Amino acid sequence: MKTKINFLTRKITIIAMLCLLCMQSKKSDAFCGFYVARQDVQLVNKTSQVILVRDGDRTTITMSSDFKGTVNEFAMVIPVPVVIQKNDIKVVSRSLFDQFDAYSGPRLVEYYDPAPCNNYMREESMVMDMVTSAKGSAENESKDEKKLAKYKVTIDAKYTVGEYDILVLSAKESGGLKRWLLDNGYKIPEGAEEVLDPYIKSNMKFFVVKVNLDEQRKTGMQLLRPIQISFNTQKFMLPIRLGMANGSGSQDLIVYAITKNGRVESTNYRTVKVPSDRNIPEFVSGFFGKFYASLYKNNLRKEGKDNVFLEYAWDISGQAQVKCDPCASAPPLANQLSEAGVNWINYFSGGYTGNVFFTRMHITYDRENFPQDLVFQETPNRENFQCRYIITHPANSSYNTCSEWGPYRENTIQRRKKEVRELAALTGWEVERYWEYPAMFQNYNPPTSPELETGSTDKPVDPFIQHIPNTNLDPGITPTASRNKFNTNISSSNISIDTIMPEETQTNNSTIDENAVAQTDFIDDQPFKKETTKDWIPGFGIIALAAIAGLAALHKKTG
Amino acid sequence: MLNKIKTSYLSLLNYFNSDARHYQMTFQFTFLMTGVFSLQWNITPLQILAVFCTALTTQFLLIKFTKLPMNALKSGGISALSLCLMFRADSIQIMVLAAVLAILSKAIFKVNGKHFYNPANFGLCATMLLTHQGWISPGQWGSAGTWWFLIGILGFLVTTKAKRIDIALAFIGTFAFLHGWRILVYQQWPVDFFTHQFSNGALLLFTFFMITDPASTPSHKIARVVWAGSVGALAFYMQAFLWINGAPLWALFFLSPLTPLIDYIFKAEQFSWKATAQNKIFQTT
Repeated sequence: MKTKINFLTRKITIIAMLCLLCMQSKKSDAFCGFYVARQDVQLVNKTSQVILVRDGDRTTITMSSDFKGTVNEFAMVIPVPVVIQKNDIKVVSRSLFDQFDAYSGPRLVEYYDPAPCNNYMREESMVMDMVTSAKGSAENESKDEKKLAKYKVTIDAKYTVGEYDILVLSAKESGGLKRWLLDNGYKIPEGAEEVLDPYIKSNMKFFVVKVNLDEQRKTGMQLLRPIQISFNTQKFMLPIRLGMANGSGSQDLIVYAITKNGRVESTNYRTVKVPSDRNIPEFVSGFFGKFYASLYKNNLRKEGKDNVFLEYAWDISGQAQVKCDPCASAPPLANQLSEAGVNWINYFSGGYTGNVFFTRMHITYDRENFPQDLVFQETPNRENFQCRYIITHPANSSYNTCSEWGPYRENTIQRRKKEVRELAALTGWEVERYWEYPAMFQNYNPPTSPELETGSTDKPVDPFIQHIPNTNLDPGITPTASRNKFNTNISSSNISIDTIMPEETQTNNSTIDENAVAQTDFIDDQPFKKETTKDWIPGFGIIALAAIAGLAALHKKTG
Repeated sequence: MLNKIKTSYLSLLNYFNSDARHYQMTFQFTFLMTGVFSLQWNITPLQILAVFCTALTTQFLLIKFTKLPMNALKSGGISALSLCLMFRADSIQIMVLAAVLAILSKAIFKVNGKHFYNPANFGLCATMLLTHQGWISPGQWGSAGTWWFLIGILGFLVTTKAKRIDIALAFIGTFAFLHGWRILVYQQWPVDFFTHQFSNGALLLFTFFMITDPASTPSHKIARVVWAGSVGALAFYMQAFLWINGAPLWALFFLSPLTPLIDYIFKAEQFSWKATAQNKIFQTT
């Protein structure tokens, strides 16, 4: 058992590293304000991570960044509802985000089938999490502010905290603020101006952050640390509008919300759960990061781009018995919660007491679909939710010595066919490439996932193209042709299907119909019913209404 | 034979057409099914079942004790549907409590034989105040344009039939005007900020299916328009300045007790569901 665990641990590490590699190409973290870079530097602001702690009116926001320019070009502006005091500003450790991300990320669970000829318990054996990387660095310098009256800009506060120089500005009108920003070396992204006025009129202050180079050198760190601000406000919201200005296309934001009573949801956008608890083929563990990225994008197409996606919700109260199930990584510790701004828990050695609820939301926003800032509410909902995907390893086909093996094999093939279709439904991948998988229990070497193959992970998502798996298969490629194509992939790794297949057929005494595993199965079959949208329901309402109106008109006519 | 089918069919249609509540139930049921199947609402089939059973049982007992016509069961059904559409809780007990409070409010808050709380509104607000357990999800509808169009049109039909379209328009008019002025004229947000705010299914459902409840709103025509306008104004204040979620529901909850006072000052004929049977929207005679 121990060796098994060791082996699994190693496997976890390898897979996690693979995922890390997968994700690194895609993920980059940024603030939810907007980056203002020095002139002529290309502004890139793709993914932000935010920790949002809320207790009553007390709000603590921690922002993580991956600024891609050189350090002295870094600057950021965040609209805040009040003037923030110096002791309400902190820099926190970057590992906080890594920890929260690892804890709440989508997870893969492995099960092993009991061997039909040998009674093992069905066993949950391994958990793996999707590891995202947080990296970044930035810096900036500050200039004197003169002639403030000219700009109608007031500096309400000025601090140096950690490696940051911070100003809290309030402005009378957007023109002045814009000129002040420009004259002080900030570049205002095109499109940001339209929301400056509304923010000023809503009595928002502007929290302007630059890097103090001397202080940054003293810290001896390459990366900028996340910055944390706390304030009291009735507005439970995240200002994303300003950040939209310089994002190229859509931007990703991950919000870790920590509250006392229950799940956090958006009040002005729909909060949708990401599909979870699905059985997927075992080979997905080799590229789980890619799998989840495709699943997320595909789900974005299905549910609509103007939604907030719930990825994790869990009761991590001190007294909660199960703080995660399965645990992708250790649940947050008391000192981590405290660092994030949770000030209502009581420590004791080895734990804490107090109600804590952890919610992770994923938002992909752009100007078109998110006209308003994100507004949240804390609900009393304590129901747990996680993105969990299940792979099931079949029993070893070398122990096929009993009469139960035949039916087991048939059932398993059917189950594995389902898994492949589920994969298609979830990710939108063309899964006919995996046609050998259902009948091949051991030594299956999958062709790479479509996105790994093409390397195009950042394809723009078009909500108007309803992606139905297999429909965009090149008509020129017949199933046989594509099958041959994938065969060559497989034979290149020294596993010949042709030799394994008949052998299994012989030893199992159960003839495997070629049709049972035909590639065409996955071409002709529709994805799962539950994955199709139910657009017919509002349609039904309209039809019913029209029918009633029509019949009533008829009724009137006939007297 | 054909004639017979036609006659029975027409009489069925006539029955359906005789009560605005039939329309309301049909539409609300369609919305609920769409929410559950298409919009992934956070409500389980068991919760829906529990709310319906509780509401109908309570209503039945109420009918037995107060000698109401059996017809009033329909109102119980509507209250149950409204609760399922708007109210969320993570336990069945809380949903059941809301359903019981909703129906009982009709018997408790009663002046001159007229209840002044919309039952579902009272049920969900009182449950939230008492237990801090339930919640409302204004975001659950998303903002698909077709949606609010559909709800608007269907709601319009129901309210026209119940002769309460003036309330709906007075409420939404005040609410939208104040918000529009603040958002577009004063704060100068882009226009889609405003349209996003008002393409919300929860708001339109409230406008056309809850505040327009003819049984609990003031009877005098001008008085009820002013009343509905003040609900809109209070909802605006609560939403814009106090950041309260589901502000229209709370505004209605706080202003409903004014109804008996308004009815006392401005005398008018009391609404009865039976009277509307004469007013068929598709039939002029």
